[in-house]
Amino acid sequence: MTRAEAPETRQSAGSVRWARRREVLAEVLRNPLTVVGFVIIGAFLLMALFAPLLTEPNQPDPYQSPRDWANIDSPPGEAGHVLGTDSQGGDVLYGVIWGSRLSLQLSLTVVLTTVVIGIIVGSFAAMRGGRLDNLLMRIVDVFLAIPELIFALAIAAVLGPSFRNIILALAAVFWVKYARIIRGEIIRIKQAEYVAAARVVGDSTWNIFRKDVLPNSVTPIVVQATLDMGNVVLIGATLSFIGLAQAGLTEWGAMVSAGQSGLLAGEWWVSTFAGLAIVLWALAFNLVGDGLRDVLDPKTEGR
Amino acid sequence: MQVRDYLIRRLILLPFIMLGVSVIVFTLTRFTGSPVGIYATPNMTPDEVAALEARYLLDQPIPVQYAAWLGGLLRGDLGWSGVSVAPVTEVIGDKITATLELAIAAGLIAIMAGVALGTIAGVRRNRGPDHAARLFSILGASTPTFWFGLLLLVPFYLWLDWFPLGRSTTEIFAGIDHPTGLYTIDAILAGSPEALWDAVRHLILPAVVLGFGAMAIIVRMMRSSMVEAMSEEYVDAARAKGLPERVVIRRHARRNAFVPTTTVIGLSFGFLLQGSVAVELIFRWPGLGQWVTSAILSGDQATIMAYVLITAAIFMVVNLAVDIAYAYLDRRVVLGG
Amino acid sequence: MSDNWLLSVENLGVRFHSPRGTSQAVDGVSFEMKPHETLALVGETGCGKSVTARSILRLVAEPPGEYSSGSIQLRNEDGSTTDILSAPEKVVRSIRGNRISMIFQDPGKALNPALTVGRQVAEVFGEHRLDMVLEKAGVSRARASRTIVQIAQQRAGWLASRVVGLLRRQDVRAVRRALDDEVASALADTGIANPRKIMASYPHELSGGMKQRVMIAQALACDPDLLVADEPTTALDVTIQARILKLIQGLQERRGTAILYITHDLSLVKEFADRVAVMYAGRIVEMGRSEDVLRSPQHPYTQGLLAAIPRADTPRGELEAIPGSVPQLIDAPLQCHFATRCAFASAVCREKIPVQTALGGDHSAACFRHNSAEELNVAASDMPLAASATGETQR
Repeated sequence: MTRAEAPETRQSAGSVRWARRREVLAEVLRNPLTVVGFVIIGAFLLMALFAPLLTEPNQPDPYQSPRDWANIDSPPGEAGHVLGTDSQGGDVLYGVIWGSRLSLQLSLTVVLTTVVIGIIVGSFAAMRGGRLDNLLMRIVDVFLAIPELIFALAIAAVLGPSFRNIILALAAVFWVKYARIIRGEIIRIKQAEYVAAARVVGDSTWNIFRKDVLPNSVTPIVVQATLDMGNVVLIGATLSFIGLAQAGLTEWGAMVSAGQSGLLAGEWWVSTFAGLAIVLWALAFNLVGDGLRDVLDPKTEGR
Repeated sequence: MQVRDYLIRRLILLPFIMLGVSVIVFTLTRFTGSPVGIYATPNMTPDEVAALEARYLLDQPIPVQYAAWLGGLLRGDLGWSGVSVAPVTEVIGDKITATLELAIAAGLIAIMAGVALGTIAGVRRNRGPDHAARLFSILGASTPTFWFGLLLLVPFYLWLDWFPLGRSTTEIFAGIDHPTGLYTIDAILAGSPEALWDAVRHLILPAVVLGFGAMAIIVRMMRSSMVEAMSEEYVDAARAKGLPERVVIRRHARRNAFVPTTTVIGLSFGFLLQGSVAVELIFRWPGLGQWVTSAILSGDQATIMAYVLITAAIFMVVNLAVDIAYAYLDRRVVLGG
Repeated sequence: MSDNWLLSVENLGVRFHSPRGTSQAVDGVSFEMKPHETLALVGETGCGKSVTARSILRLVAEPPGEYSSGSIQLRNEDGSTTDILSAPEKVVRSIRGNRISMIFQDPGKALNPALTVGRQVAEVFGEHRLDMVLEKAGVSRARASRTIVQIAQQRAGWLASRVVGLLRRQDVRAVRRALDDEVASALADTGIANPRKIMASYPHELSGGMKQRVMIAQALACDPDLLVADEPTTALDVTIQARILKLIQGLQERRGTAILYITHDLSLVKEFADRVAVMYAGRIVEMGRSEDVLRSPQHPYTQGLLAAIPRADTPRGELEAIPGSVPQLIDAPLQCHFATRCAFASAVCREKIPVQTALGGDHSAACFRHNSAEELNVAASDMPLAASATGETQR
């Protein structure tokens, strides 16, 4: 084979990787339920991004529903309020739409930060091993001894009721999960043969980590992160339901809480629509997460 | 025996982890207003408060303060609960038993219904019952407990008035002794059908709501382990012995499928504890969850801190118990670190 | 059909449905078994021998499987016959483990890991010999409560058995003892030296050979007329293999059980089987007495199999393999399945399905080389080279 021929037959490592990713995506999309999940997520994403266009943002704080004092507690479809109003005249549709922005903010922030922190801590522990690993894992054990919601509840309560503190509290609690996952994966892979091969060849630890270890441990993290996008909103809604967010916030959990008293009086729309939004959000991410898991990690069979 | 060593190691680690939890709780207390706020009762004089501050060594470095706080903890001083207007240690006993009763009831419902549904789904794989079970299971994982509770409240409490709120009807409750603190058991022990009925009537709805989420994960796990078990060779071998299908499913497949499900049961206890916060709030159940939600609204730090310590302790003990049960059930289990 | 037959498989067809299509795993298989004889069913992986074996006990799961044709007749004591494929569930269950038993390839997988082996063997007694067990325990059937019966059958609920265990302690103990005695004697029959100890063990605590003995004990517990052995030694070490096979042979001599022996290993056939049937791609291609078939195989596939067995005197570098591979059975064409690999294949082989042609003395082969152009009503040029032409004889 002459030099001139070689480039045609050579496929770069990068393009092989992309081709494989496309295959995985195609496989994932083959499941109709997963597709439904993606569609719902897409809808929420659009809702969140285009909120200012869909409804006039309230001033001074768009995350407080505009009050229509003339039409409090009005049922859906009346007085120009498609989904009705709450006991302070707040528009439910407005709440649902702007609540999606908050949900997106909450889940994205928490998941991204915790994944990054978790990967850093977990990788450190696994790659260094020894006493550092032991110490870090004991800390993880301590964090895991307190149930997530309860831990986040305590932190948010201590910091003071606000949406920002809910985000902080959840981030402080969720990172351990990822640290443990990645540590487990790294330890498993460290013992794999191709890592031994790389070391024999003389590759540096950082390179081995970057090229062999990290890409292969990413799968369970991706699955867990997707599921957590839903879980974070579920727990966050519970926290605001209990009262750990600001009053009147257009956050779905807070809205359900605000609509509680109305429920017993027959005014069902506030709690119901806000609650449905939460269910749809969590459902969508659960469907996608499950679909991903079925494709990427077939040993945990659910079919 | 390897398994025994692992479990003993866990047992030994337990107090250390609790110590770690106490460090976290202590750190949280430093974020609150006055560090001795949790001990101050509303009608203390400034002198008494100063005495408290001295006792807890507020002028000393942090680790010493921690030691003092821990010392107080171990002496049984968990502070003053603003919402209950009493020392924490006085009221916490009743709260714990109330939540435990609810959690156990919810757990039993979740396990029995979950195992049954999961088994049917696994045996009738990919047919009607299976799809229903999987739909149920994913909805259960996506529905916030508090919303589900409200959803059930409206028809069953508001419209039909079948199930009352709260834990008991005061007169009936006061009419019997409470040796265990679990209303249902006490009613049985007292031989009072009226009290038992009263207890159950109040318990059912919150227990179902609380158990719903846990049921969803159990169904899912049971279903997948049944599917795996049914495809094992020993199931065919059992049929080849002439055993009726019912027996093959129950005695051969399900018995093995149940083993991995126990790990999920341990996990779901965590969900039960967490779910109890919202459920107790909605159904006015006088347990730890309702206690802490009131505390949050009124800034009662002592209650919140005590709540974290207690739930962590319960959570860890239950997890260890479940792991011991799992080790007993699966004789082949090889547990590692 | 001869007059002294035990089991007659007639034109058995089994299909499997999958998203990719339907495959005919067993296609028109017919054979007969006489009492006390050993028939070996030989073929490579995927040829349908296991499915055939499982069909005899109607173990094929429907769906995705389906019994598309044929019948499996079992001769009863009173001379009547039962068609296993169409009999009601209850009848089939009374045959399984009782008149026809099966032992499986991997004893590690065929024994329930959650139960002691003693309990598992006891299940067979509880199911098929209930009256005998109760009698030995001195408990009359009329007096035995439902729970006691269930205890005998190894399926009493935990609570119920504890309660009854207290109330009717004598009876329950007697029943348990009677069962244990039966199990111990069944285990001892297979050469297990300390049956009581083994009975109380879990499968994972036993060696492969021991597990297989337990399975054999379980299968022969009720003195079946026919034992279906699905590759019973494949998963065992070579040294244990021989011992287990000898054990089975010994038990057969003593009890007079007929054995249907499924294997892919031709070398075992000579020692252990009276007759052999060779299967390929779901069909029986050759059948007859072992020495006849092995000495002068009449089907190209059998010839290839025998030639492929390395012998001590095979010159180096001359291992023969049959070229090609087994055809896909999904929507397979209606022709001789071996044609794609056969040196003699001709036009008629690719258009028609060969049937078993009698070659004298119980030997038959399904190959057009043994048919004439006139029989088949085709042109002589479409026929493969006749067997007689190459000097291959049947004896």
